[in-house]
Amino acid sequence: MTNAISVSGLVKTFGRTRALDGLDLTVGTGEVLGFLGPNGAGKSTTIRILLGLMRADSGKASLLGGDPWADATDLHRRLAYVPGDVTLWPTLSGGEVIDLLGRLRGGIDPQRRATLLERFELDPRKKGRAYSKGNRQKVALVAAFASDVELLILDEPTSGLDPLMEAVFRDSVAEEKARGRTVLLSSHILSEVEALCDRVSIIRAGRIVETGTLAELRHLTRTSVTAELAQTPDGLNGLPGVHDLSVVGNKVTCQVEPAHLDALFGRLTALGLRNVTAAPPTLEDLFMRHYRTAQPGGQRRNQVA
Amino acid sequence: MGTLTGTGILARHILRRDRLILPLWGFLSAVYPMSIANSTVALYPTADLLRPVAQEAMANPAQLATRGVVFDAGAGGMTAWTVGSSGAMLMGLVSMLLVIRHTRVDEESGRSELIGSGVVGRQAPPAAALGVVCSVNLLIGALMSVLLMGTGLPAAGSLALGLALAAAGCTFAAVGAVAAQVTESAVSARGLGVSVFIAFFLIRAVGDASGAHWLSWLSPLGWTLNVRPFAGERWWVAALLLAFIALLAVAAHMLSARRDLAAGLLPPRLGPAAAAPGLRSPLALAWRLHRGQVVAWTAGFAVAGLTLGGAVSGNLEGQLNSPQIMDMIARVGGEDARPADFFLNFLLSMLAWIVATSGMLSALRLRSEESAGRADLVLVTPVSRVRWALSHLVVALAGPALVLAALGVTAGLGYSLTSGDIGKLPQVLAGALAYLPAVWVMTGIAAALAGLLPRFAMAAWGIWVGFILIDVFGMLGQVNANLLEIIPFVHIPWVLLGQMSPAPLAVLTAVAAALTAAGVAGLRRRDLVA
Repeated sequence: MTNAISVSGLVKTFGRTRALDGLDLTVGTGEVLGFLGPNGAGKSTTIRILLGLMRADSGKASLLGGDPWADATDLHRRLAYVPGDVTLWPTLSGGEVIDLLGRLRGGIDPQRRATLLERFELDPRKKGRAYSKGNRQKVALVAAFASDVELLILDEPTSGLDPLMEAVFRDSVAEEKARGRTVLLSSHILSEVEALCDRVSIIRAGRIVETGTLAELRHLTRTSVTAELAQTPDGLNGLPGVHDLSVVGNKVTCQVEPAHLDALFGRLTALGLRNVTAAPPTLEDLFMRHYRTAQPGGQRRNQVA
Repeated sequence: MGTLTGTGILARHILRRDRLILPLWGFLSAVYPMSIANSTVALYPTADLLRPVAQEAMANPAQLATRGVVFDAGAGGMTAWTVGSSGAMLMGLVSMLLVIRHTRVDEESGRSELIGSGVVGRQAPPAAALGVVCSVNLLIGALMSVLLMGTGLPAAGSLALGLALAAAGCTFAAVGAVAAQVTESAVSARGLGVSVFIAFFLIRAVGDASGAHWLSWLSPLGWTLNVRPFAGERWWVAALLLAFIALLAVAAHMLSARRDLAAGLLPPRLGPAAAAPGLRSPLALAWRLHRGQVVAWTAGFAVAGLTLGGAVSGNLEGQLNSPQIMDMIARVGGEDARPADFFLNFLLSMLAWIVATSGMLSALRLRSEESAGRADLVLVTPVSRVRWALSHLVVALAGPALVLAALGVTAGLGYSLTSGDIGKLPQVLAGALAYLPAVWVMTGIAAALAGLLPRFAMAAWGIWVGFILIDVFGMLGQVNANLLEIIPFVHIPWVLLGQMSPAPLAVLTAVAAALTAAGVAGLRRRDLVA
């Protein structure tokens, strides 16, 4: 599999703020990558560099086989972008913006445009200044999904969308994936990423701290187990790989490392299981694990989005 | 919660945000009349020396149009005449833009929502903006009066001039407050406000230049001058201004109570569901964005050209028998120069300064598109930065050409119709178009700043104001001749007086091209920043 996006050692500073601090990122062709991180972690800076709107101080970036800065104009023929906060021209209608952006990219499929407008329930006759935030977002989404491109770069594209439209958005991304398109989806909505993405990269303070499929990431973390037993347990203390053990009466809760699950369950079964739940870590757990701890080097989080 | 709750907090917030611009603007405005008074006394120490200047001014329709009537030929009266119109413009336009900045601009950018969700009444933002700007105007007026008294001018006249100019500032602050309520975007609020100012200016200009003085009484800018500082002050005219300000302020206050946040008074109209076939290039987009402004300016200057061209030609021949005036004209234009030609070219030279702002506005659109994030939408399509920048700059360079051409044709037409000499039209047109290279230099300055120093793009307006001040003091002989040379407009030949010098035009065009190219080159190399 070739890579649609491949970035290594990317550094970008704004004055004294180090927005990107040696960032590595790859997105395989045809893959949907979730780019996770809180505001200010460097998601948008990375995307603006990939779009050729900014130049990195150092590091390498390759986009669809080209240089995002030097080959920007040619590369842009093959991608579409939706920013997190869309501003439109106040006097142009939504339909005009969709057509203009589509034509600049080399044409727009009228059938698909009509379908998307209907699906997103967007009135294309309203002027830019009359749209709500969510509707401005929809204008950019329709323009992006209606164009015939290989790569979609979406930077928190669903901010301002209601849950119904959020579902429409998920369907549309799934459709794009089925058509073989590559998607870079920056988000801090974990359920969205969980539902859509093949792989996830978590960014923190300008660096990728975790990358992999959800299954791989889960493998690295503990499963939380709650069990009700036939008798008051003893001898659970000191089992290898078991953490945060608490015993109240016959009820046990604990966190257990994947490698030691069978040993724990062997012991619990021996004690007489009456009821058990074992929950895999949610993406939120993964995410919080990286963000709850102190910042590397004790520095404050960068304030650049 | 009252509708005005939080006005005080907002007022302090405005003072903090504008802590640089307010003192700078206040200082310049307050010092301006004093320095003119000092210059006047230094240049014309006796009444005998001043009288011919006043006579020339009263006979010159161009002077009457730009500065109004001379009510008294003394040092005080001439000071009031010199600064009355330009001072009202300086105070009025800045006040208006400041009020719009703290009302409609904030609302558009969503900052008001942030504030409005706090403990702030819905009518507090316009009240705070108007309150702060009017208070600053009164302070400037007071300082102005004190400085004028310091030069030895009479106290009553000094007070009247300070009061009149402060009232002009407050009037257009209130116009800005109403415009911000009626329109839906900062751009249209500014457009409406500036149009109202230009309309009031033209009404007074035509009234004073044509002798139909009742027209001047239809414009608050006419009232400002008719307070008549140092010429038997008419305090009741100042009261008239105050009543007008109060009326506008109440209107803005009531309008702000009646509409939703971010909405205007007029309901938005729907647009087309699909783009016209032609809207398929950056240039088509740029034209679409600028065309309203270009058309409005062209129409406005066509009307101005027709009226002023007619007024200059119609009024003059009989009035100009004073030897001093003929002397001055001969000095500039040669022995056989016609006064009407001289005055019409003088008017063109003044109007060119205003035409320059239309090109600057268009060029600065590069910056506002960038900071709003709309540039990103276009630049992530296969449109290069150079192509995007040139699309706006082509309009920024061609727009003023159209405006100057309209001005030249209509002024030539008005002039020819009144004088019966239709052959004059091409010459007047050439005289107007001669200012194009100077206008382009101003456009180039704006483009260079937007490209190279995006965060300081608005400094282009500072340069424009700076050039005007150098020019005003230059006319009074208070400025080093070399400094005067940096103003592009002083190099333009007066075609109506038979001056033909293509060299400065070529040089200015080259300078404009270099500035524009520098801006585009800068934009190509740097990060796009919000």
